Amino acid sequence: MRIDSFVGKNAKEKPHQLALIDGEKTISYEHLDKNIDHIALSIREFGNCRFAVMAESGIQYVEMLLAVYRSDNIAIPLPIELAVLGLERILDTASIRNIIVTETQYSRFGKTFFNRFSTVILVNDDSSVDILRKVVVDEQNNPDLRLVLYTSGTTGTPKGVMLSDRNLVANAESIIEILGITSADKAALVFSPHHAFGNSIINSHLTVGGCVCIGSMNFMGSVFSMLESGMSMFYGVPSTYRLLLRYPEKFKSAFGNVRLAATAGGAIDNTIVNNLRDSNPDIRIMPMYGQTEATARLAYLPAHDVSEFYDTIGKAIPGVTLDVFDADNNPTETDITGELVARGENIMLGYLDNEYATEKKIIDGWMHTGDLAKKLSNGYFKLLGRKDDIIKIGDHRVNPRELEKYIEENTDVSGVFVVPVSHEILGNAISLMVMPNCNTDVDSVFSFCKRNLPGYLCPQEVLYIDHLPLSENGKICNRSIIEGYQSVKNSM
Amino acid sequence: MQQIREDILDFLRAQSFMDNDIHFDDNESLTKAGIIDSIGLLELLDYISESYSVEVPEDMLTPDNLDSVQGITNLIIKLKDERS
Repeated sequence: MRIDSFVGKNAKEKPHQLALIDGEKTISYEHLDKNIDHIALSIREFGNCRFAVMAESGIQYVEMLLAVYRSDNIAIPLPIELAVLGLERILDTASIRNIIVTETQYSRFGKTFFNRFSTVILVNDDSSVDILRKVVVDEQNNPDLRLVLYTSGTTGTPKGVMLSDRNLVANAESIIEILGITSADKAALVFSPHHAFGNSIINSHLTVGGCVCIGSMNFMGSVFSMLESGMSMFYGVPSTYRLLLRYPEKFKSAFGNVRLAATAGGAIDNTIVNNLRDSNPDIRIMPMYGQTEATARLAYLPAHDVSEFYDTIGKAIPGVTLDVFDADNNPTETDITGELVARGENIMLGYLDNEYATEKKIIDGWMHTGDLAKKLSNGYFKLLGRKDDIIKIGDHRVNPRELEKYIEENTDVSGVFVVPVSHEILGNAISLMVMPNCNTDVDSVFSFCKRNLPGYLCPQEVLYIDHLPLSENGKICNRSIIEGYQSVKNSM
Repeated sequence: MQQIREDILDFLRAQSFMDNDIHFDDNESLTKAGIIDSIGLLELLDYISESYSVEVPEDMLTPDNLDSVQGITNLIIKLKDERS
């Protein structure tokens, strides 16, 4: 089955059921299915060809994406927030000849941007289609390939994650099962559908015949009204909830009727959990973990364990096997740190046109997540930072996230971040950035480190910061910390 | 009113990737044109409250009030009027 065939099935069984809401606009399954057909018709001469999908978040994006599926082609959604430079890097690596674009994006990027494409299909606001030009060229692509999602578009070489119909359907089915999604659910999607998390929400709700309300986090007032209009499910990354919590009273009333609040893309904290429970004692809070390379989801923390195990990722979703491997790719014992690995029908086909990166990521059928983790005795998994974040100091390998936790637990601070800095003899050393509370004292942090840590872990300096060094995805990693450190240094 | 409009344009130029000589309509959507995003909007709210000593209530955090230069200008005038 393809994801769009579920829409077709729902259009037959309950044609008038609402599929998508986008502000004032709504569309039923029957109309969505018709619009998909109409757009698909314009590219039916192509088969298994790459199509860039360039659309703002909204109903049209979903129609265009599913039309590429339905015409048996390969969709490559462009993360339009990257603007011209970031998009050109993706387009240069992906060799895409064809594009399907909305009126809004066509006028935003301008006619010359599209000169690189031999086929340009313009989808108008009323879903009518203008074929600006069309040249059908055969392509040699993986026959199972349906969707390519790009990761790390802003820095490093962009990598295209290749997903098949089976990947998409398998992950949607697992998500439906763990969240108990039904056709009666109305889900709020307030971030970009162009990436794995947003994409998985659309797939899972459209598969069961439910409704997705598409919005953005731009206008808090609109998010709160959307929730109050009768959403049963809300999805967010931790920063989504933190942004909404700037308005605690509104937050409380808005989540009053939400049955399930799901999170992904980073660890949830107790403030978020407590505020959600305050607004609605019956709310189910479901933290989830995943990667684009796994279509979206890999693990979830069952709602009843959120209070006790909020600092874990819980267990594998149905259809996925998780394990922790040592450096020789053998499973580790409980409580021993290694790399989290996964297998299942949701694991990507590979990276687009990049066999080298694929071979490093998928070894003997196991996808290596790059996350350090350990197995707990109850079968749950706990993340311990990124494998790439390990800092080598002399001949020592130091996990900065563990060191941060140790210092945080034993000194009077509200947060600690370990910064790798260069060292004449050791190669690397560390400095600390500290988020102070009202009792924090630099000297006592220093003296704690001197008394309790080996010499090579004593910080070169301790700097105060006033906000978290988060990456653009709202995560803490060495790169985001180093960037935060550099901006503190520059302002000194 | 003209002054508020100019101040807002200066703020947007300083905060975003917006070119100094870019021309856009006062009613054009700032988010759709990629001139401002959710973090930029938070900074805009801070700027409004500091510069005009007004707080924007949650109910008014909507595209009508914040997604265009015209909308933002009208919002500030309205909030200033309510205060005085």
